Amino acid sequence: MSSGFDVVLSSAFLAAALRVSTPYLLAAFGGLVAERAGISNIALEGQMLAAACTGALVAGYSGSVALGALSGITVATLLGLLLAALRLELGADAIIAGIGLNLLASGATAYAVYTLLGDKGGTSGLDSGTLPTVPLPGIESIPVLGDVLSGQNLITWLAFLTAPFVAWLFYRTTFGFHLRAVGEMPDAAASVGIPVRRVQYAGLALSGALAGLAGVFLSMGYVSFFVRDMTAGRGFIALAAVFLGGLRPWGVFLAALGFGAAEALAVQLGTLDVPPQLVSTIPYAMTLVALALYAWRRKRRGVGQVAPASL
Amino acid sequence: MRKRKSAAAALVAGMLVLVACGASDGDSGSAEASGKPRVKLVINGGLGDKSFFDSAHEGLKRAAKDLGYELKVVELGSDRTKWEPGFEDAAAADDYDILAAGTFDVTDYIGDLAPQYPDKKFWVFDAPVDYSGKNGTCSNKCENVYSVTFKQNEGGYLAGFLAEKLIVAKSLKGAESLKKAGVMGGVKIPLIEDFVVGFKSGFKAAGGKGSNVLVQYVGGDKPFGDPAKGKEISNAMYGQGAALVWPVAGLSGLGTFESAVAAKRYAFGVDSDQYQTLTDPAQKDTVVTSILKNVGNALYKAAQDDQKGSLKYGAVETVGLAEDAVGYVNDDHFKELVPEKIRTELEAAADQVKSGSVKVPSAL
Repeated sequence: MSSGFDVVLSSAFLAAALRVSTPYLLAAFGGLVAERAGISNIALEGQMLAAACTGALVAGYSGSVALGALSGITVATLLGLLLAALRLELGADAIIAGIGLNLLASGATAYAVYTLLGDKGGTSGLDSGTLPTVPLPGIESIPVLGDVLSGQNLITWLAFLTAPFVAWLFYRTTFGFHLRAVGEMPDAAASVGIPVRRVQYAGLALSGALAGLAGVFLSMGYVSFFVRDMTAGRGFIALAAVFLGGLRPWGVFLAALGFGAAEALAVQLGTLDVPPQLVSTIPYAMTLVALALYAWRRKRRGVGQVAPASL
Repeated sequence: MRKRKSAAAALVAGMLVLVACGASDGDSGSAEASGKPRVKLVINGGLGDKSFFDSAHEGLKRAAKDLGYELKVVELGSDRTKWEPGFEDAAAADDYDILAAGTFDVTDYIGDLAPQYPDKKFWVFDAPVDYSGKNGTCSNKCENVYSVTFKQNEGGYLAGFLAEKLIVAKSLKGAESLKKAGVMGGVKIPLIEDFVVGFKSGFKAAGGKGSNVLVQYVGGDKPFGDPAKGKEISNAMYGQGAALVWPVAGLSGLGTFESAVAAKRYAFGVDSDQYQTLTDPAQKDTVVTSILKNVGNALYKAAQDDQKGSLKYGAVETVGLAEDAVGYVNDDHFKELVPEKIRTELEAAADQVKSGSVKVPSAL
């Protein structure tokens, strides 16, 4: 029997970790952008679900995978804008509105699939295809690296490129400065002439689009069909990664990657003689350990007492 | 502003009245018109799972067509917090004679409701209510409840037996050198473990080693509705040398067939004939057979017996291979993939279980 150590170093595990991390990474960056814009996007789950459903349906009916993916991302973007509008125009609580959008997405996607296909489970009866994988000629033949990197889905690559993109956006562009200023203190931002609402709308649109990409990956990359509620709580795990990552791009990147790796590890270890209940606690136990370590380090540096954001 | 609010309130109130009227009108009308027995299937989940609930639905639809039942279906969705009120509402509405519901999760609800509605009948499939009445439910000993459970371990036994025979005979093209088989369960509960225990015992009965059976559970938030995780687990099983994987995990199992196509390996279906329910030809080709747990047939038989007055209320009936409630798909595709010698051996193994000369261990 192979030991746990062999499993961690195997190319199967590493490739799986990249795949499993993909939706976490994208959704977590979606959550991060919204959080830094000052509106919590708890609707990541619903946006992913709506995008997954729209993507599979449009791709199935039009025969174009690209059109399906774009439609999915568009729907999620619109849901992001809707959340911003509910918050900014109607003064709704972002958490309540987000929960509402999640419920709406769960019901509406099931209804849409049933209306169009007469199937209450999902779109597995519809041939909708998947987004292309990326072969890497040259690297392909390198023993472990080739197995891990080559043949990953296009969206997996995009997910990993999202980290430098968001870091660049936050710290190197005017929009990023505005976004962070608005999220930190909207009144101060407004006083120096930053168009607060416009920046928040843009932030939530980007947040929705990233969640949408995560959703499209589930139904058009990971598998080739949509199933009712197939996001299975991934949006909420991504949200946990946002905070575990300390609201910083590379921190969020590591947290989301950590969740993905822990889940992939649980999958690879699952067939060994380890109790499944124990294995399935790995991602959650890891969260607690990481949070404890984080708090301990802050305390040692003497920044344990954080001033409330409103001061 | 105030005016607008009160107008809105009036509108909502009006709509509620309309809805309420509409519902009661329709119900009493249909009840009076036909003297048919009315059966209401209440599902703690949704249709479209391509296996368990769809099978139950199919069986009752057949009963409606052949035996003159009137069928109504209520889907409560996957949110557990809505199940208990959902069952209370379903039982309180006077639009049924028989309320049918399934899975272990509903036994307490039915055990509570059956004594409250003593002139109604209840059919519970795939788990028994607590007839002893010792744990707070079934205060009338559930004498108006019929429960039917399945020997899924017998189906598992045949699956394991077939898997090892195929492996030893090197009959699976492209997987001739592999020695292992995988079972992917939804969650680790006794009912799902019953499939697994049966599989292992069949695998060993055919000469295989128990350690060559890989077992893993999907778990998580949606154990029976997370095909992405199902695919990842199947990938891992094929990666660890499984020639075939048997998913017992509802819609999560759809991920297994995709994984099987990518790995160029094989799979078994579960509960329903999944060769029929899948549409992609490449995925169909991976399905050697499906191990049937024929919930629909059991409900159809219950409907037949109830008309004859021979259905036993106040007791649980356990059905398996001998009653044709559990079995496997023996179609042309199966005959194409499985050599005749193994098919004969499999039939013999099934006969041994039916006659009772082989006792399959159970997790229940």
